[in-house]
Amino acid sequence: MLNFLIPTLAFLFQQAPEGRLAQTWEAATHPDLAKFLVIGALLFIIGVAGVLTRRNIIVIFMSIELILNAANLNFIAFSRYLQDTGSVNAVAGQIFAVFVIVVAAAEAAIGLGIVIALYRNKETIWVDEIDLLKW
Amino acid sequence: MRLSGYEALFFWIFALAAIFAGLLTVMARNAVHSALFLISSLVSVAALFVLAGAEFIAGVQILVYVGGVMVLFLFVIMLVNVGAEEKGREEVFNKQKQVAASLIFCFLLVAGVLYAISQGYKAMQARNPTAPELAAVQQAQRDRSLAVGATRTSRITDDTELLGSSLYRYASLPFEIASVLLLVAIIGSVMLARTLKQEASADDVDPETLQEEMALDPELSKLEPRSD
Repeated sequence: MLNFLIPTLAFLFQQAPEGRLAQTWEAATHPDLAKFLVIGALLFIIGVAGVLTRRNIIVIFMSIELILNAANLNFIAFSRYLQDTGSVNAVAGQIFAVFVIVVAAAEAAIGLGIVIALYRNKETIWVDEIDLLKW
Repeated sequence: MRLSGYEALFFWIFALAAIFAGLLTVMARNAVHSALFLISSLVSVAALFVLAGAEFIAGVQILVYVGGVMVLFLFVIMLVNVGAEEKGREEVFNKQKQVAASLIFCFLLVAGVLYAISQGYKAMQARNPTAPELAAVQQAQRDRSLAVGATRTSRITDDTELLGSSLYRYASLPFEIASVLLLVAIIGSVMLARTLKQEASADDVDPETLQEEMALDPELSKLEPRSD
């Protein structure tokens, strides 16, 4: 279907060469580094919004995982970009991504251990009820 | 780096899936639903990794995040299951003013980041306008030089091999530090998740606290501290 769709749409947009629509179509059918960065930024913002608005501490941890994952997406996209432009060490970004995954796993283990200890003592997982340090 | 044809189609499918699943992670009332949406978001991002040519990281993402971390999350959700949120008795989000303030902050952040990306990318393109075409030619040359797979329809990338060798060549010290970090995380989470009974049997409680707790719970006084 795609083989049929793309030439048809391309033919339709040829009517206005160098038009704004044709440029947009060209950019949309050829996602580049900027598109990956935009997706990463949106995932990051969603994660930040989750951390700031949710009351459930486990969902806050999940939002942090989302943020770390968005950072990984940026690392991978830049790694591919450097690979294409013939950098010296083309997989440096992927090495960083591996370490981000390691740190995320360690953070999840410790954080969930804290959640269990907290639940045992305070019987709550709502962050606004954990206010021992508030004055 | 320019995707085209089916790669572009799949890029948009997985990008939209990742963002919608991420939104639903944040908005779902039930924490179990949040976890499941987060799993689908992570899988979609793994697919984006494949499209960007990082097959090994995509595999690690699915094995470690989906297979390990998310199962841990689901276990903890089951352990501390409150059940009040799904019945609609508890408010899921913070107070309205806090939510409004944080959403304004997020909107400003997203506007700033998107502006920075568009400006920076434009400047990068202006600095070297022929780079994308050149990169595409080089990429095609590299692809042709790769070994053909057993089915003769695809080629075997040397991406994982390259990643492994440069992980040990350029990042061997961080690699060792990461192993120590994981050890600390294992020991720390075991220590944090112990019950008072387990702490008492390992003789690891403050004597005064133990006396107080014994008064409340006679079970504790039956425990003998281990002799070792």
